[in-house]
Amino acid sequence: MNNAGVWRLALPLGLAQLLFFAAPLLILLSTSLATDENLTQGSLRAWREVLGDAFHIQSVLNTLRLGALTVLATMLLAVPLALVHMAAGPRVKRLILIVAVLPLLTSVVVRTFSWIVILGREGVINSTLVASGLATAPTALLQTEPGLILALTQIEMPLMLLPLIAATARIDPSLLDASTSLGASLGRTLGRVVLPLALPGLIAGATLVFASAATAFISQSVIGGGRLNYLPALVWQQAMVVFDWPLAAAMALTLMGSVLMVVGALNLLGRNARHA
Amino acid sequence: MSLINRRGLLAAGLALPALGARAQTTQMTAAVYPGGWDEALRAVLAPRLLQQHNVAVSFDPLFAVDQIAKARAARGTPPFDVFVLDPGPRVSGMDLGLFETFDPARLPSRAVLPTGYADTVGAAVAAQVVGIAYNPQKLPKPAGWRDLFQPQYASKLGLTGFGTTFGTISLIEMAKALGGSETNMDPLFAELRRIKPSVAAVAAPAAMPGLFQQGQIDVMYTNTYTVTLLRSRGVPIAFAVPESGAAAFVTSMHIAKNSRNIAAAYQYIDAMISTPVQSALALDPYFFVPVNKDVTPGADVPMRSISEITNFVTHDWSRINPLRAGWISRFNREMAG
Repeated sequence: MNNAGVWRLALPLGLAQLLFFAAPLLILLSTSLATDENLTQGSLRAWREVLGDAFHIQSVLNTLRLGALTVLATMLLAVPLALVHMAAGPRVKRLILIVAVLPLLTSVVVRTFSWIVILGREGVINSTLVASGLATAPTALLQTEPGLILALTQIEMPLMLLPLIAATARIDPSLLDASTSLGASLGRTLGRVVLPLALPGLIAGATLVFASAATAFISQSVIGGGRLNYLPALVWQQAMVVFDWPLAAAMALTLMGSVLMVVGALNLLGRNARHA
Repeated sequence: MSLINRRGLLAAGLALPALGARAQTTQMTAAVYPGGWDEALRAVLAPRLLQQHNVAVSFDPLFAVDQIAKARAARGTPPFDVFVLDPGPRVSGMDLGLFETFDPARLPSRAVLPTGYADTVGAAVAAQVVGIAYNPQKLPKPAGWRDLFQPQYASKLGLTGFGTTFGTISLIEMAKALGGSETNMDPLFAELRRIKPSVAAVAAPAAMPGLFQQGQIDVMYTNTYTVTLLRSRGVPIAFAVPESGAAAFVTSMHIAKNSRNIAAAYQYIDAMISTPVQSALALDPYFFVPVNKDVTPGADVPMRSISEITNFVTHDWSRINPLRAGWISRFNREMAG
């Protein structure tokens, strides 16, 4: 096939995206700039309410912070596991992969509700702590940010682990041998050889986990509760309960914009890392 | 429109091979609340409707606000023929012109309803009684709404905001008990701010029963239906009628504007209020509060007949709805952090 014409293969998806993604996005944008959802009149009221209000700005920051902390937590757990996977024999490798994929096989709703059972005042963690004498009274875990991050870490883990394992599996073992035989310590080999080579996977994982955790509407509202405010629940509330579609549209675009900015920054980091 | 044509015959025959002989079956769609309502109407109402009127109903499980949003997004082509709504969304639907004008005379069973329960907007099909639910193994019975703000209860309390009908009227009743009114929430918010650090949970309405079941909260505001349902699953829970009275409201059904199955929709609503259906729905495992005067409500419901609903606290949703958006956003802010 002529290489110049190969772009035509992307045409069906491109057209579908234009029709089903770009067009609705445009409608969303115009709704956010109107007084009501029938677009009778233009107004910046919704944007003023989102960007000029400390509560809404705080909710944006909370959402980004939640995404970032979940990325950090998943990374802390996924990196050692990926290294074990790299060093392990074929059977352990397969076991790690199965364990990594397993959570994806249950619905996110089920995973979220099981965390209520685990984190609750009379849940698994608290009853263990109290029964073993490590704590005298139940600790608040449900409806706290640490509790939510803990749950999201488990829920989002496959999104970090899978790209990371894919990247580390491609590292040529002879590079590690070369590094060792040239006198590098294990730490130096990990830092100078493994990490740079695994970086694209780590960044892909971070992008997926960040975007998914920042927009995890169900987990945020069920485990986080009403004291923690994140944008996805506010968008739902404005659209479905209050019927303020312009405000919901402006919030949705703010969420999308802020998540895209972080994802863009991660992408840039990935590109620079490859060129380094 | 003729209900009997070749294509219809073919479709009905294909869809319901077992009923191939009764091929003139009318198809209609009704919105229904997910969960208990969905199960109950599928099991009790749908078979009766098919048997009595040869109308096959398919259900679209949606919460009230989702029904309004979906009908609104459909812009004139109704996604279902019948709505089932609580008072708040009902007023929204009226304001948005989402309903056909309702003619109570087209309900043969209308005499079983108390006066005023079927009007030009729709017909009441179930009642809800809202009060305080508590765990009797952990807490003494609360006397009224004010008690929820005492340290003993506040530390076990699950709060939910103005997003639902039961949440809104409970919070209004608390505001009234604290010196406010149906339109003045200031005393309520002042007290909420005070107890906020000790409150056990601030949660989405749908999460409340789960939090109660897990022991995260031991007191909440809810309807008798939730209390009976949770107790039937072995959860220690009891209903307390506040000293100012339990609040009651009715859930109503409405025919969607431009519905193409209006005759079937009336038959559906008529079957819903009929004595056999209301009796079956009042029993285990459904526990509905009947609106039919001839049916006795279940043991947890603090009334012996729907006629007693006049003794309960009711609310004026045409006054509440315009203020609700402000309360919702204020609740978010007050409860943050």
